[in-house]
Amino acid sequence: MSRQSLAPQLEFLLQEIEGIRIHRKGPRRVRVDLAAETLPALLELLKGRAGYVHLSAITCVDWMEQEEFELVYHLWSYETRVLVMAHIRLPRDPGVYLSVYDLFKPAAFFERDIHEMFGLYFEGSPDMGKFILTEWEGPPPMRKDFDGEAWVMNHFNWQAYHPDWLKEIEAQGGGITTRPEDVRR
Amino acid sequence: MSDLKQISIHAEGDAGGDPKSEGLFTRVFDELKAFCRSRSLFMLHYCTGCGAIELPPAMTSRFDMERLGIQPMVTPRQADILLVTGYVSIKTLKRIILTYEQMGGPKYVIGICSCTVNGGMYWQSYATAKVLNEYLPVDLYIAGCMPRPEAVITGMRQLMENIRTGKADSWKDYYRRYDHYLGNQQQLFGERWQTPTDVIGEADHYGLAGPETIGPHTALLQQHQVPLQPLEMRLGSRQERKP
Amino acid sequence: MDALNLALELVLMPLVAFVVGLFMVLMMRRIAARIQRRVGPPLLQPLYDIVKLYGKQTQISHGLVHDIGIVMAVGGYVAAETLLPVPGMDGLADRGGLITLAYLMMIPSLGLALGVGQCANPNGSIGIARALTAMLAYDIPFVIVIFGVAWHYGTTNLADIIALQQAAGPGGWGAATMPLLALAGLFSVHAMLGKQPFEIYVAPAEIATGPMVEMGGKFLGGLFVMQCFQFYTAGVLYVSLFLGGGENWLTFLVKAFAVVAIPMCIAFLFPRYRTEDLLKMIWKWPVLLGLAGLWLIMH
Repeated sequence: MSRQSLAPQLEFLLQEIEGIRIHRKGPRRVRVDLAAETLPALLELLKGRAGYVHLSAITCVDWMEQEEFELVYHLWSYETRVLVMAHIRLPRDPGVYLSVYDLFKPAAFFERDIHEMFGLYFEGSPDMGKFILTEWEGPPPMRKDFDGEAWVMNHFNWQAYHPDWLKEIEAQGGGITTRPEDVRR
Repeated sequence: MSDLKQISIHAEGDAGGDPKSEGLFTRVFDELKAFCRSRSLFMLHYCTGCGAIELPPAMTSRFDMERLGIQPMVTPRQADILLVTGYVSIKTLKRIILTYEQMGGPKYVIGICSCTVNGGMYWQSYATAKVLNEYLPVDLYIAGCMPRPEAVITGMRQLMENIRTGKADSWKDYYRRYDHYLGNQQQLFGERWQTPTDVIGEADHYGLAGPETIGPHTALLQQHQVPLQPLEMRLGSRQERKP
Repeated sequence: MDALNLALELVLMPLVAFVVGLFMVLMMRRIAARIQRRVGPPLLQPLYDIVKLYGKQTQISHGLVHDIGIVMAVGGYVAAETLLPVPGMDGLADRGGLITLAYLMMIPSLGLALGVGQCANPNGSIGIARALTAMLAYDIPFVIVIFGVAWHYGTTNLADIIALQQAAGPGGWGAATMPLLALAGLFSVHAMLGKQPFEIYVAPAEIATGPMVEMGGKFLGGLFVMQCFQFYTAGVLYVSLFLGGGENWLTFLVKAFAVVAIPMCIAFLFPRYRTEDLLKMIWKWPVLLGLAGLWLIMH
């Protein structure tokens, strides 16, 4: 079977989901946008009937101005070697979604990571505990309203580092053009 | 583990004792020991961050470090030098402190790469420690990103010179100003931070305590300290971990 | 011999062993470096290591048994040195023979096992279990070789064995009259030294040097001293049994260094065997060689 003959098959199958919008970005890349409630149906459809058994990743994008989180589920098929990227939007305020752990076991890992970095809770995921930033007590750091640099300037000290070799270079007329003190505002 | 009792700290007198009162034999012996310490350094092969990639070239045939007497050892009990190579995330810093306290003195810390100096490339990150010598006494910094093996070896030779002349005694500073270091550590890790090593007990035992060994932060440590339980060993299927 | 002479010899023989062992360790490190196309440490490096380790100012000990373990590890070898004749000094060689020596050479591992057990570090326990299993492995060909030599010369007294070999000249050395046993003996010496491919009990990157994981400072200094003794004992025992002992100091040292150099040249070309593979290999080839050698000398 050639690639061209496979393409309409996938799009035909995806029409079963209501309200789905399909963009074919390349011979092996398909982007679909759909409503958050219809995502589990899409995943079951792709896994069960189209052979998309590999969940590569779940990514999260923080649209702060629109007050939404966008979740992207990357699904890969070993047989047709096509990557389907399913985008959904969630309201930022309650920041809850359900977990797809019963469909794809690796989803537990990605959801735990997203929960730690964005604060988005996944109901039904087996373990939502911290594992990357185990000493972190502040807000979820990947959110766009978290200013990492300001946090660092408030919480950490710096040391003056002016070693002898630098003094020698400056004595001969050289030196650093951008001093660290000027970069740290 | 022992409870922290109210120990009366015998403050250390003049650093190193009065030189005129030491006999000739003691001085010669100390010089010999300092010389041998400088010529035989066991570095802990604990590759903290990305700078560790510069250590294998420094150890293998092109820039052989064994001819300077430096060889890698795998456990902190056997090692003299703790090489903090690269950025120090807060998670790693906990383990570095645990490792440092397990080493036997005299011990030396070398901060390799610019990330240990002032944060380096990751200075804007909320999860890295910026200045290493707030949490551990550091003997030498080798700046670079990464420093080439020649720079690493030059730094090692500088450390050897410092050891031979007796200037590299920052390990005693950890005992003398433990309260200060513990305060900085508690700022990062919270009030319940504790290590299995009884630093104050050791300072008292070896006579290295100073006026700043005990203070408000060690009082906080004593308040929150719980005796450490051995890890439970279970055979069979793993239980679901609680969040 | 009178008591004063004996006492002097009992002090000097371990001292000689220590000094010669230091240079044997240096030779091992230099050979390793040259094979790896490096330069290697300077002349007195093992001495610097030992002085530095004994000069550590803080010491972690896990209890009395931990300390006793190290004492046993070094003491077993010190006792063994007094039974190994060197040119000019026989020590206690005529009072204890090969069998006592074989027992004394097992004491260090057992002492180390005691000390490591007190450490309660899982890496140490795994390592020492592997070390004792390896000892079970190489002791079989070792005992066969010792039995063969004792049978051939009719005595277990090392001083007599050396005298018999020197009386017969180089054609009468053990290596010439019992070649298969000599080969099996070399195998056991290699395993006894605990170098690649038989260094599973150390396994630095895997179990963090096994038994030495909690040994620091003076304990590690003691273990370095034990390593010097270990090289010396294995080398000199082989020289006494198969290479005619030492007529004078020069030939004695040349032979001892040569015996230790041969396994070292092979060692650094190999990775390590797993424990069960080590057992299978040592219970197969050296034992077969030893038994064949035994059969040859008994007929």
